[in-house]
Amino acid sequence: MKTFEEKWTAWVDDELDDAERAEFEASLDDRAVAEAEKLQARRLGALLKEQLQPRPFANEEFFHHQLRGRIAAETKAAEPCRRPQERESWWTIRRLLWTGTTSLAIFAVCTFFVMRQEPAPDQSQYLTQILKAKVDPDVSPYATVSIFQTKQDRVTVLWVDGLKTLPAEYAAK
Amino acid sequence: MRARFLALAAVLIVLGASASPARADEKVWSGLVLATNVAHPAPPPPEVRRLRDTLQRTFGYNQFELIGQAQQALSTGEENWAARSKHFSLHVDSRGATPDGYRLKLQLYQDRQTLLETDATLSKSSPLVIKGPLIGAGQLLLLLVVQ
Repeated sequence: MKTFEEKWTAWVDDELDDAERAEFEASLDDRAVAEAEKLQARRLGALLKEQLQPRPFANEEFFHHQLRGRIAAETKAAEPCRRPQERESWWTIRRLLWTGTTSLAIFAVCTFFVMRQEPAPDQSQYLTQILKAKVDPDVSPYATVSIFQTKQDRVTVLWVDGLKTLPAEYAAK
Repeated sequence: MRARFLALAAVLIVLGASASPARADEKVWSGLVLATNVAHPAPPPPEVRRLRDTLQRTFGYNQFELIGQAQQALSTGEENWAARSKHFSLHVDSRGATPDGYRLKLQLYQDRQTLLETDATLSKSSPLVIKGPLIGAGQLLLLLVVQ
């Protein structure tokens, strides 16, 4: 079921068949006014068709030639700029990263081997040192102290002689 | 590219772990050992086992019995502790760590009587053995070892 507007548009464009046109024209209140509007609409359409038609290019070939020339000139101008940039950008982020990482790896390897060759602190040349030793002279007046190191096990011995001998019960835990 | 990066990272991690091993907490074990000569010597306690040959050769005894011991973890290097038996006690006063070891002040007491005082720098790679008094047919030895 077409609306009035649809029928109106179709009537203005002469797209109604005879029966529909007769029915629609019968339904109009003032046919003279409607015919005038139809005429105006057609005139407006004709005017728009006439005005909106594309204008033909009189110098189309010349225009295309100019356009191609400008594109070619811009391309040539861009190329010399790009080449120096490529040369300067040999140190890309990725290459910098790889160079840094590789340098670190080489440093770590060298450090590893250098540290392996040096004695570890735990097994250094340091031996236990006796800085001072004192026996109470009132308790053990004849006591003597000597210090030496054994080659095996690197044991430092503080050898105290002359302490009072004690009975076996002093060995209790 | 990614595989190469992972391989390199793995190598770095392994090297890093190998080059700088984590330093474990060090402990000082101190023990009062009675050295005797017997026909059938009992096996030495685990702490003395490594030094058994040296002790036997140095002091001439074949059995080493633990009559008192103490083990102290050194976190600050300034700790105090004592290894005790019924009649003896070895007081250890740690005075800090130096590059060549731990500075220790040692005092051997027999009951309440001071027998011996000594200051020493105890190195991790070098145990300290102190010859104490003769007890019966044996010999008291004082041992300090960084573990």
